[in-house]
Amino acid sequence: MVQAKRQRRLRTRPPLRLLLTFLVPGLLLYTVFIVYPLVSALQYSLFRWAGTRQAGFAWLANFADLFTRYPLSEQVWRALEHNVLFFAGTMLVQNTAGLTFAVLLFRSRRGRRFLQTAFTLPHLVSPIVVGYLWSAMLNPQFGVVNASLRAVGLDALAQPWRGDPHLALPVAIAVNAWQWIGFPMLLFGAALAGIPEEYHEAARCDGASAWHAFRRVTLPLLTPAIGIVSVLTFVGNFNVLDLIYSLEGSQGNPAGATDVLGLLFYRTAYQNPDANAIGQSSALAVCMFAVIFGTALVASRIFRRMEERLT
Amino acid sequence: MRRRGVLLAALGAVAAVALPACAPSTSGGEGGKKVHLTVLSWRPEDTAGYQKIFSVYEKKHPDVQVDFRGIKATDYLAVLPNELKKSQGGPDVVQLKPYGPIQSLITGGNLLPLDGKVDVSRWPAETLQAARGRSDGKLYGVPFALQTIQVLYNKKIFADQHISPPTTWAQLIAASDKLKKAGITPMATSGLQPWVLAIDHQIFGATRYGAADFSKAAVAGKKTFTDPDYLASLDVVKQLEPYFPDKVTAVDYPDAQAMFTSGKAAMYPGGSFELGPFKQAAPDLDIGFFEAPPAPGSAVDHPVTSGWVDGSYGVNAKTRHQAQALDLVRWMATPEFGQLFANQLKQISAVPGTTPGDPLLAQMLKNYTDHGVPYMMVVSFGYGNPLGRDAEGTALQKMLNGDASASDAGKEIQKGIHAWFKPSGSGG
Amino acid sequence: MTTSVSLPPSPDRAGAVVPIPAREPSRRPGGRRRTAAGVAAGALLWGYAAVALAPLLVMLAGSLRTEADLADRPLGLPLHPAFENYARAWSDGDFSTYFANSVLVTCGSVLLGTGVSVLAGYALARYRFFGHAALSAYFLAGLMLPVRLGIVPVFYLLNSLGLIDSRLGLVCVYAASGVPFSVFVLTAFFRQLPGELEEAARIDGAGELRIFAQIMVPLVRPALTTVALFQFIPLWNDFFFPLVLIGNTNKYTLPVGLTRFVAEFETAHAQLYAGLVITTIPLVVLFLLATKQIVAGLTAGMSR
Repeated sequence: MVQAKRQRRLRTRPPLRLLLTFLVPGLLLYTVFIVYPLVSALQYSLFRWAGTRQAGFAWLANFADLFTRYPLSEQVWRALEHNVLFFAGTMLVQNTAGLTFAVLLFRSRRGRRFLQTAFTLPHLVSPIVVGYLWSAMLNPQFGVVNASLRAVGLDALAQPWRGDPHLALPVAIAVNAWQWIGFPMLLFGAALAGIPEEYHEAARCDGASAWHAFRRVTLPLLTPAIGIVSVLTFVGNFNVLDLIYSLEGSQGNPAGATDVLGLLFYRTAYQNPDANAIGQSSALAVCMFAVIFGTALVASRIFRRMEERLT
Repeated sequence: MRRRGVLLAALGAVAAVALPACAPSTSGGEGGKKVHLTVLSWRPEDTAGYQKIFSVYEKKHPDVQVDFRGIKATDYLAVLPNELKKSQGGPDVVQLKPYGPIQSLITGGNLLPLDGKVDVSRWPAETLQAARGRSDGKLYGVPFALQTIQVLYNKKIFADQHISPPTTWAQLIAASDKLKKAGITPMATSGLQPWVLAIDHQIFGATRYGAADFSKAAVAGKKTFTDPDYLASLDVVKQLEPYFPDKVTAVDYPDAQAMFTSGKAAMYPGGSFELGPFKQAAPDLDIGFFEAPPAPGSAVDHPVTSGWVDGSYGVNAKTRHQAQALDLVRWMATPEFGQLFANQLKQISAVPGTTPGDPLLAQMLKNYTDHGVPYMMVVSFGYGNPLGRDAEGTALQKMLNGDASASDAGKEIQKGIHAWFKPSGSGG
Repeated sequence: MTTSVSLPPSPDRAGAVVPIPAREPSRRPGGRRRTAAGVAAGALLWGYAAVALAPLLVMLAGSLRTEADLADRPLGLPLHPAFENYARAWSDGDFSTYFANSVLVTCGSVLLGTGVSVLAGYALARYRFFGHAALSAYFLAGLMLPVRLGIVPVFYLLNSLGLIDSRLGLVCVYAASGVPFSVFVLTAFFRQLPGELEEAARIDGAGELRIFAQIMVPLVRPALTTVALFQFIPLWNDFFFPLVLIGNTNKYTLPVGLTRFVAEFETAHAQLYAGLVITTIPLVVLFLLATKQIVAGLTAGMSR
């Protein structure tokens, strides 16, 4: 904050013509293709639709449909629950492991670049590819995973990974973590590199144990990074669609055990026999928008507050 | 003045960056004087067959060229409404999913009514029902395929095990036990896909719940899905679980197919639509079929063949070549098209009076015309969200997982159907 | 389209955006300490590296084996590499078409998106004008917008512009989706540049546009690479927008092409693996060539 105040003031006041030349193209593109559609979705959600035509103002009837009309009324909550679990699981598995790897990598010298590259490589693969690749590998009959388990005598562990309603969601979380782990790792790595050396030294001079030093010195200094990673994970997890689509299909198999809000939105918009599909799906989009954007906004505010208090 | 100039320049800059990178799509189309008709389908695997079918049409209509465009089946429902919304460049003739899913397109005014434009006087009413608007009763498509469902079996395995196609439930169970003892999976099916389980239920359970009589009563609101006969029919599927692949609810559709074509499983409860892909995957596989014998306590004492219309061809209301598109669908209602369709695509044509070239399909069709019943969950309860088929399949999945009893499943199905279904007797 | 964009910790801190410092790991005071913990850490790191890479190797190996071989022995090595999987996926599976479309659409989007962002970022960083703060916030908000939720209106918008089923339409949406992140990063970089250069040029009589194009833009070239790469990855991988906006299979990009391939050749695992490799390989090559910039992009706004 203080730093920002010290920053050089913007001095130049350019002619309007010049300013517009610089600003209009980006503003136009962003407004027309991103902001305007999202605003339109709100308008759509307030109308009743007959197929592809608007059939009268509906006030909040579409929103009421979401929460009162079976099966949507159940699917919405089920999908939300799965998103929450997905987020919790990702925070627990992916981001904790990411932090661990970042700390270990920060201290080790040998093979650091190689390891960083290896961990980050899956991040580049399209979620669609990841889904198809893993569904092939997890195939109970022809898949590599069960074949490997059997080869080493762990037959009992060979599971129908994608098909067991109790395993499917954890498996999806694990596959997602496999893809994304490099991301928190790099972010935490950068944050660690940003911590002044004196702090690390200070911790060591006190003769503090490594864990103690980490808990007392490093972790608090990582708060901003943890905040950013959490918010990004949240936004990403609540947008998840491609991976589940290619791993478990558009219905979120088995028996909806992996159905998430993104899939539900897609199905409500495009695989819905109801004539009011656009109205219902737009209402769902508005609700999801409120949850995602609202939470992200509030969370980033809170983390910024915490950060200010720390510095 | 100046300001507008800047704005235009900015727009120009946007265009200048965009254009060289990517040529704008041209509508193509009007090459020469030929009219290009685009036909949209969810069966990309039929592309070669349709090209042959349409070449016959093109010979008679030299001014028309038919372009067949296949979209992945699971994406089709997402793609079709968008295609029909296009103000220009959309398809002219489109395949329509039967019964419920076309209703929102009809109410949205996306399809051209075909009454009086296509001769369907010889067609049975239940076939045409698949392409009618539920509220206006008008015809919006020409049905192209019928599907029937029955139990397919591997003739070689049956011969090796000295099993003949069962005609009673006891024989079916005895044969399955024998196969299981021999280390062969008796029946391959996919419990991961709800729609496959719903088909299994119709194949083995239709006679138990009372087939057409029950569905008529249910449509009239006189019976519900918590009816004891219907619950018992759900249980029939559960009883077969020991003969399905291990952990059947985790078996995906392609895997079940592969188990049958690779000879790991002896039977496969499935549709006429499976024969084509099976022959392609395993040309040497000798496939036979039988109708599932009635389970104990069945309301219907003889086997039945269930069937439904798989889809129809409709005309995009926004087509720029309405006359030519109508000509094409008119042709699709003739026996000439029906026969070409049956021969080229190894399917049962919906056109009355055509016979499939394939002897198995011909026998399936004969069974259906002889003692066929409608696939209830698609034909009568496929008009709302959730589709009857999906509600039933998901509930069966829970039963097979041990998470629900038949009566739980029945309650769930009833709840789903009740969410949108108004019995015809109630006047709503 | 997903979350590969980075969230700004706060606009004020944006000035600190620099590529991650290639700081050497801290000197360990007791370098000779070869503790059990150290060994365990090493084992963990290298063990996970195997987990991270194995699936990619399975994909590569699978793409080089025959169908029958794959079905018989799920675990196996491509002892007799079968390149025909690639040949068939490339021609029969139409991957040549999808590949060309992906290149065209992704490159077009990145050029357009970066182009407009560099202009906007410069103005936001170097000029003072009414509504500056509001405009910055407006662009920044885009970092958190779930763009996909606007898909239904996007469809109608493109339809009314005649851009449906068109690669240009896809380019417009994609380019726009990259604007917030690019503007954010580029603004930060432009703001860091010392004012003296600019003033000297101004005294020499150079016009604003010349200062921008000939002096300032070359100075932020590393940021341009970062920004371009960072749009490239999610756009190359995106599946949702072409699924809805492109109906003509001749205009499919790789991810949607893949789903079509899976539907058509359900049991052709070897060819599917080949298709997966074809979709993935350009990004892997890009990553290995530009690890530094990609890491910088991922961690933009994080350091210090």
